[in-house]
Amino acid sequence: MKLTPDERKMLEGGYGAAKARALDYIIQFGEAFDAERLVDVIYVHYPAEMSIYKGLVEDLLEYAETGATVAVPTTTSTLACDLEQWDRLGCPAPVHDLQAKAVAAHRKMGMACTYTCTPQFLGYVPPKGSYIISVESSAIIYFNSVLGARTNRGGHLTRYSAITGKYPLIGYLLDENRRGTHLIRVKLAPEELRHDCDYSALGFAVGRIVGSQVPIFDFLGTPTQTSLLALGAALATSGSVALFHAPPHTAEAKTVDEAFQGAKPVEVHEITKSSIDAAFQAMTTIAPGDEIDFVTLGCPHYNLEQIRYVAEFFRSTGEKVNPGVRLWICTNRMTKQAAAWEGYTRIIEDAGGFVVCDTCPVESHMRISTCREHGLSVPQIRAMVTDSFKMARYVRDLIGCETAIRDRDSCLKAAISGRMS
Amino acid sequence: MADRIVKAKGMIRGEAAGEALVCHKAFSFLGDVDMDTGVIIARGHEHEGVSIAGRVMIYPETKGSSGGCIVLMVLAKLDKQPAAIVLMKPADPNIVEGAILCGIPLLSEPDEDLLAAVPNGTTVTVNGTTGEIRWRKAT
Repeated sequence: MKLTPDERKMLEGGYGAAKARALDYIIQFGEAFDAERLVDVIYVHYPAEMSIYKGLVEDLLEYAETGATVAVPTTTSTLACDLEQWDRLGCPAPVHDLQAKAVAAHRKMGMACTYTCTPQFLGYVPPKGSYIISVESSAIIYFNSVLGARTNRGGHLTRYSAITGKYPLIGYLLDENRRGTHLIRVKLAPEELRHDCDYSALGFAVGRIVGSQVPIFDFLGTPTQTSLLALGAALATSGSVALFHAPPHTAEAKTVDEAFQGAKPVEVHEITKSSIDAAFQAMTTIAPGDEIDFVTLGCPHYNLEQIRYVAEFFRSTGEKVNPGVRLWICTNRMTKQAAAWEGYTRIIEDAGGFVVCDTCPVESHMRISTCREHGLSVPQIRAMVTDSFKMARYVRDLIGCETAIRDRDSCLKAAISGRMS
Repeated sequence: MADRIVKAKGMIRGEAAGEALVCHKAFSFLGDVDMDTGVIIARGHEHEGVSIAGRVMIYPETKGSSGGCIVLMVLAKLDKQPAAIVLMKPADPNIVEGAILCGIPLLSEPDEDLLAAVPNGTTVTVNGTTGEIRWRKAT
């Protein structure tokens, strides 16, 4: 691989041992995939070490002791517990205590302790064409598609990109890999693409078809920031999609033709109302009228506007969450602070809901494996209603609960009645 | 007895030797292996109950979650990692990351079908830099 004189200096220890070792890892990775050279990344979204995985936090603490610090702005992804109200949420003390140690280590390394899957909602909005490296499949696909920044699906080496500011020029950083492969003709009426969960269903239906390829949507109705987020999160759940184009809503291609860069689609698929209904059915195992005990909103993590919506729902209806139901509105700590200032958090908590930070049900102590380790009963949730296909897909296996997908209002109504509508 | 040498793509550098652990199906580090012992726990796996520690793993491809990289790292901390990994198909980024962080050689796409050619348990030497895989063939 060709190195610049500065990269050579870094590799030879001119910037210290930590950077030299980190760059060696990045070079090995690049050479394994025949990268011609390295690029400078301007931003890193980092896989915060979760205490539900054995050995990870310990490894972080050891690493932070070396004094290595990040070279570029770096945000941290979700943790295994809410750092403040873990106890109220039923998290065993050992899971929290170990997890809490990670915060000081991340700070020592110079990271922003965002602990979220939606750093873009905190203002981390890398410009179109910029190179970044990110973990968290829903953030990766949003950065690539909606913003037009360039990232691959980051893994554990993300740490060493943060330390060096370098990443090999491979995968989705290259123009030719950003070309569309599958044309998705969306045969839905605008009113069938209204709620974020409609976009989540669309993503789930298409992800199954395209796997790890690049779908091009010819129609998306009038998507918002959060509906594009929902679409991407689901595409990266049923498939491992890291990039889609939906002209004119996404950053790169102005037209469908442009998205294919002059090539013909490898496959063309039609998505109709029946494809969407099938997606809902596939993830819904709770019958109407059945009791439910959990409602999750905020997968991916809610922004301030979404929390405002929930608060307004409770304020205007005056209703309370059913005593048999836990309602989690998942977000990050910075957004919760803003929501508290606006008075939203208070309204939701007074109604019996939780505004949960840093984590979500899937990443939490409620995972079957973590429950077994800490002597908690399994499953921690019997029947969950959510508006996110990603959440439903993962809690089903990792928590072992029944699931149903409904739009946000219906989720809130289910939380109030304790039954599936 | 004669030395057999097969060329593969050297993905991650380094030399290692160990008894071959030949698995005929795709392997998932997350779920198929016990994280404390390195023993294969996947029910019905052809080597269920066998430890991967110190073995040269030869298998078609890696499957499953990106958590596989983490499992390899945890095993390496306990010194229960495989000596090397040889994949029949192109390597996915996650297993490459795992191999780098554990410092184990990784090779892919050998010129010959090693799943058929290498008897399980044979001592195999691999070189991730040159891409060479070598073992003694009984004549």
